[in-house]
Amino acid sequence: MMTIVFYVAAFVAFAGALLLVFHRRPLVSALGMAATMLAMGAFYLLLHVPFLAFFQVIIYAGAVMVMALYIIMALGREEPGPDVTLRQSLGALLFAALFLFALVRLLRSAGSVEFRKALPDFGSIREFGNVLVSHYAVPFEIASLILLAAMVGAVVLSRRNWE
Amino acid sequence: MTGLVSFLAAALCLFTIGIVGALTRRSAILVFLSIELMLNAANLVFLAFARYLGQLNGIAFVFFILAVSAAEAAVGVAIVVAFIRRRRTTNLDAANLMKW
Repeated sequence: MMTIVFYVAAFVAFAGALLLVFHRRPLVSALGMAATMLAMGAFYLLLHVPFLAFFQVIIYAGAVMVMALYIIMALGREEPGPDVTLRQSLGALLFAALFLFALVRLLRSAGSVEFRKALPDFGSIREFGNVLVSHYAVPFEIASLILLAAMVGAVVLSRRNWE
Repeated sequence: MTGLVSFLAAALCLFTIGIVGALTRRSAILVFLSIELMLNAANLVFLAFARYLGQLNGIAFVFFILAVSAAEAAVGVAIVVAFIRRRRTTNLDAANLMKW
């Protein structure tokens, strides 16, 4: 059961990511990215962190993708400029080769490392909340400052006459 | 069966697709989305190892990465909008002011 869900999610994630990278129309690319984000949520469910799966769907498939789609629809429907240059494709090929090398090494070195049976409260929101407000209390407070700064920064940056 | 290696391989594939997208696309928005894809692949590695080791630290890291990437998305979108307004294009090659 878990295996089937994993492979379906992986298929959706790769298909969406490939759409993002290779489709000519930016709108379709962004929708592919949204599918990938939903599949990532399924991965998170398989890894026993359901609340992060919800956050993933709300923040990425919801907020970030809506903002990106808004910009594409309002301002950037067309992909501008000429096609991929030689230098760009050489860089991409380099990273693809590096990827193949790493993938082969990964599959050969470890074989298949199974997950042990999870503790009953692993990934529960109660357990995680305890850690968050005790061990990670200071980063938690700093995160609120970062969000405030980002909010102010976004408003300042998108003023109409900002010079 | 799915284990640690399956999730690591999936994250590796997604990261590579993201880096290829960031290198080859022209549109500022799509480069931004490719970078988000790489960020998500890194999150998946954190969670796979958190599950494998049975520790909550990886989950806490992913939680903070989600908060920071929400902030980064808001600022990034604002920068892209300002850039498109000034240059009248989404082409990243137009951003050459600080290019050597």
